[in-house]
Amino acid sequence: MPKLQRRDYYDTARDMNWAFSYVSEDEVFPEELSKSFGIHGEQWWGWDEPYKLTYREYVHNQAGKDDGIYSIRSTIARSNLYDNLDAGWKSAIKAHYGAIPVPEYFASIGEARMARFGRAAAWRNMAAFGTLDECRHGQAQIYFPYCLLGKDPQFDWAHKAMHTNEWGVIAARSLFDDMFTANDAVSTAIQLTFTFETGFTNLQFLGMASDALHVGDIEFGALISSIQTDEASHSQQGEPTLKIMINNGRKAEAQKMVDQMFWRSWKLFALLTGISMDYYTPLESRTMSFKEFMQDWICRQFMDQFKDLGMNVPWYWEEHFLPELDWVHHAYHMGVWFWRPTVWWNPDAGVSAAERDWLEQKYPGWNDRFGKKWDVIGDNVRTGQIEKTYPATLPIVCNCCHIPICSPSIGKAPRITTHNGRKLNFCCEVCEWVWKSQPERYDTHLSIVDRFLAGHIQPPTLEGALQYMGITPDVAGNDAQAYAWNGASRLAAE
Amino acid sequence: MALFPLQANFRGDFVVMLVPVDDGDSMSIVADKVAQHAVGLRVAEKSAAKCVYYDGRELPSAMTVAQSGIAPMDWIEVAYAE
Repeated sequence: MPKLQRRDYYDTARDMNWAFSYVSEDEVFPEELSKSFGIHGEQWWGWDEPYKLTYREYVHNQAGKDDGIYSIRSTIARSNLYDNLDAGWKSAIKAHYGAIPVPEYFASIGEARMARFGRAAAWRNMAAFGTLDECRHGQAQIYFPYCLLGKDPQFDWAHKAMHTNEWGVIAARSLFDDMFTANDAVSTAIQLTFTFETGFTNLQFLGMASDALHVGDIEFGALISSIQTDEASHSQQGEPTLKIMINNGRKAEAQKMVDQMFWRSWKLFALLTGISMDYYTPLESRTMSFKEFMQDWICRQFMDQFKDLGMNVPWYWEEHFLPELDWVHHAYHMGVWFWRPTVWWNPDAGVSAAERDWLEQKYPGWNDRFGKKWDVIGDNVRTGQIEKTYPATLPIVCNCCHIPICSPSIGKAPRITTHNGRKLNFCCEVCEWVWKSQPERYDTHLSIVDRFLAGHIQPPTLEGALQYMGITPDVAGNDAQAYAWNGASRLAAE
Repeated sequence: MALFPLQANFRGDFVVMLVPVDDGDSMSIVADKVAQHAVGLRVAEKSAAKCVYYDGRELPSAMTVAQSGIAPMDWIEVAYAE
């Protein structure tokens, strides 16, 4: 029998849409799982994406990718490459491994929801591949750090982190549950695949892959580059979904979903990637500052794509987002370093004399905003008063992003509001807007400070908090460079 | 006398913190309790009096928390007197 060419059967195999007669549309696509936004049945059938794959092709491609990265892993395992990596870079990949692999499985749940409840067959087909992609990402990113466990118990947190109540994990889980795990199919396409993956994942994976190769971490660079090739395809589910919403008069709803999740993603991204790029990556290996990456990938490329689709720049862009590019991750970094026993990696202060010069050059005013505080910290280290570089209380965290409420240099009041008798704190107007846009969705979620005040953390001390967060002495973070940055700073001053 | 949680920051610092005080504490004690989490840790020490600001006004140093109208988990700022 002659073999059909791919083009002769592909659309038939992919586009098996049909109108239901024995069951209602609502029974097949319940609103809570497949929210229609009022767009009915066949309006969704025009959904189309550019990556046209068959299952056979998909399996062939993925097997090749896995062969590639696992053979690099087994080759490098016989070398001392990891031992020679910079201590700050090791912290960057530990932070990544704790925050990312298990949420890849969360993303697999989101993809599986679209594979069943996406409202077009072509979309369900694409999402089935996306489900498999995310399983591959979860498995590879847990296996690779597992292989490093013998060198450092902090790598155990690649698997453990998401199952704890560590404060950064609470922030990450709140975001990922909102976006991936507990989202309807249409919103997942717009918020996860378009907003998060097209915007932020590109930055996280391409930026860190580039830095990894510069520092000589071939294994990590190969791993996340391989993952990024999947993201490039399945992230395309967002754009056709967005087009259908716009074409059917639902631009306002789509815009709101993007605006909400862009902001939520930004806050976590600044925490995770911002500090990794500008403080943990060795100075000589930095290709760009975090702000420059953001300006290139987000402010230019992502926003151009966004505007080309007929969408507007988020309402908070000029007043809130652009100003935060200058300071927010620097404040987060100082907080993570000062509260370093509460994280599963060793924060690299990254403020030697040369690093401070670089920070001031990339972020004019850094010395005035943050350098002066590092001076005080450095003095305490230099005079042996290490106890003064550790926290004795908790920071207040935002009830939306769940990250400590910071300010650039002068005192800024948190936005305190009351909802149904419950006092809430927000770090900024945008987080308050996101929370209040869906209070029924967020109201029962307690921040780490809410839990402390409610008596969930016992004894109510830092030690009790560490126990609550699952942090054990063998993984509790400490200064990555054993305070060598301070010696360098002192010599420069002398 | 009862434990009284506040949100507080010291002017010049970068983060808002949970600071437990007592409702019988005067504002000068409150200022010291906030300062101990920031001054000499991230904010340089100065030889100057410290003031408590609440709801846009400076509170008298002898006023107690109970007299001040501050509610649990309200936000205060502590700063060196200019």
